[in-house]
Amino acid sequence: MDITAREVMATRFSTLSPRMTIGEACRVFQKAGEEHQQIVFGMVVTDQAGQLLGMLSMYDILLLIRPKHIHIWGEIKDVDVSGILDAALTRARSMLVSDIMTTDLLTITPDMHLLRIIDIMIKKHVRRLPVLEDGKMVGMVYLSQVFQHLLERGSE
Amino acid sequence: MQVSNRQNVMKDLTVKEAMRRLIINLAAEATLEEAIRYAIKYKVNAILITDPNQVAVGVVTKTDLMGAYYAGLPLSTPAASIMVGPPLFCHLDDSLDAALDRMRTHKIHRLYVREAAAPQAVGVLAYPDIVGLLYRYCHQCDRNLRRDTEEAEHLLADRVRLREVMTPGVFALGADDSLLQVMEGLAAHKFGALLITGEDGAPAGVISKTDLIVAYLHGVPPEAPAKTVMTKEVAACDYHDILINALRRMIFSDVSRLFVFRDSPGHIVGVFSLSDATRFRSGTCRACVSSRIRPH
Repeated sequence: MDITAREVMATRFSTLSPRMTIGEACRVFQKAGEEHQQIVFGMVVTDQAGQLLGMLSMYDILLLIRPKHIHIWGEIKDVDVSGILDAALTRARSMLVSDIMTTDLLTITPDMHLLRIIDIMIKKHVRRLPVLEDGKMVGMVYLSQVFQHLLERGSE
Repeated sequence: MQVSNRQNVMKDLTVKEAMRRLIINLAAEATLEEAIRYAIKYKVNAILITDPNQVAVGVVTKTDLMGAYYAGLPLSTPAASIMVGPPLFCHLDDSLDAALDRMRTHKIHRLYVREAAAPQAVGVLAYPDIVGLLYRYCHQCDRNLRRDTEEAEHLLADRVRLREVMTPGVFALGADDSLLQVMEGLAAHKFGALLITGEDGAPAGVISKTDLIVAYLHGVPPEAPAKTVMTKEVAACDYHDILINALRRMIFSDVSRLFVFRDSPGHIVGVFSLSDATRFRSGTCRACVSSRIRPH
């Protein structure tokens, strides 16, 4: 039997609102992690009608926190930088999800074959793909779940 | 780290030692909205616009994005329509001296880097990249008179006062002046940020180009008063303060410039930029290439 996105996608997924602050988004990440009992590394951003607007990943947040002149102060030995992480987090908290979310997204449909999904994930270096049906988001395929599925099939 | 013993260490340094390999680029059909998100997220002043073969066709800077805001262009406008191109390149093995001269000749703040055989960019070289590398090397320079002292760095930073390295004078606008006036002020003076004063003339905030493009993204009308988008914290240091405190403040506030006050925080007398800081720290020698870097 051929496996498609429908069989491997998660149909329960948390979403972010574009007007949330990064601080609020971090709390949603934490809550989602507790619910799913695993660290959540990325989340979709949707409008009130459930339309997909973008994606916010751990990488997006790390980029925001990284000081712009880190390459220079890394060379300086005599500057006391204690507390700089708190300062960076304070600045990042007030930014909006819509300010830094990725909008150039790859999406798939529920009937896409598992091997094609793997191909996209490898070629495009993505770990998660939103699944759209008639323009509405119906699920999310995670690389970890794809691999888990392959492990289960491989060990049969 | 390779240490040079030559009189001018810069002669030994090449572009590939100073450049960043992470190039922030977008396709020509990307919108201004996407370009602004990239500038905010990656904290860069310029985005390279590339064709489907990853060949560079132009550059969109924060100044260009601010210009689009000023002109009232919709955020859905293709970034390619405001880009400046083609971008200027240097080569991996060019000397930093040659690259810096090219930047000065063309009055630009960055060069993209490519290998001789391929048209694609492999890196980008901007002033902060150069000054970062200079800092590492400057203490080996023959003209750094304190290079043999173990505590040279500490002593230098503790000795130097901001008043010696700041750029005197400041241009400010009022909190009720429009964002359009702020953009005109930034463009006319080629500043990255502008001081905003309250009714009493005291510093009330700062508006940077980043603040303006965020306002553009959020749909704030350009006729809105400066106070609606200004950052209320004025990152500033005392005129008599030592250099090390100013550097720490700059790093903590994640800004490229500080305002300098004298006697009281309400009396701003100058601006101190990252380029000023690094030029001085690396440039006990005037001959050093860093002394030719101009603040921006």
